[in-house]
Amino acid sequence: MKKSYLVFIVATLVLISAILWFYNSGTSFKILDNLHLVVIFVVVFFAVFIGVRRFTSERRGEPSEDELSKKIMQKASSASYYISLYLWLLLMYIADKGKYETDVLFGSGILGMALIFFLTWVFFYFRGLRNE
Amino acid sequence: MNNRIRELRARDNITQDQLALAVGVRRETIVFLEKNKYNPSLKLAHDIAKYFGLPIEEVFLFNEV
Repeated sequence: MKKSYLVFIVATLVLISAILWFYNSGTSFKILDNLHLVVIFVVVFFAVFIGVRRFTSERRGEPSEDELSKKIMQKASSASYYISLYLWLLLMYIADKGKYETDVLFGSGILGMALIFFLTWVFFYFRGLRNE
Repeated sequence: MNNRIRELRARDNITQDQLALAVGVRRETIVFLEKNKYNPSLKLAHDIAKYFGLPIEEVFLFNEV
């Protein structure tokens, strides 16, 4: 099975499962109370989006990835790693204050990294990679 | 760096899809190139120039500062 199909199927299954789980839990939705859930949805939507892009490219007979998409991924990865260092610095500061549990801070860090990667990818995608 | 891809495509009556398939990239990459939002690798620049039957310097125009 091709990589793009696998990414697409896994991301779709995770998204559908999350929606069903949330729908059946019967809880009322408040964005601030469910911030982590919102970030997970954003990340999974991103994975679905990437999967759909690769899938449609392959259907048109184009490569699922080419030099531009790879460079955008590389650029977004390196920039998001750099920005994430500051996120972890902030979380260390919050941990020092002792307001939140360690597992909450770790979860926030991981989800924050995912969100930063998504945002940097969007930034480079719309800005382009000219003269670099 | 600017390029004449859009102009050459119009001259030869070629779509972005056709050019993308011919040089082995996604159509999106051709769109980015035409908008000057991406500088291609030497290989892609060579492939595009070869497709139009022109030397690279006649397709990709370097602005010397």
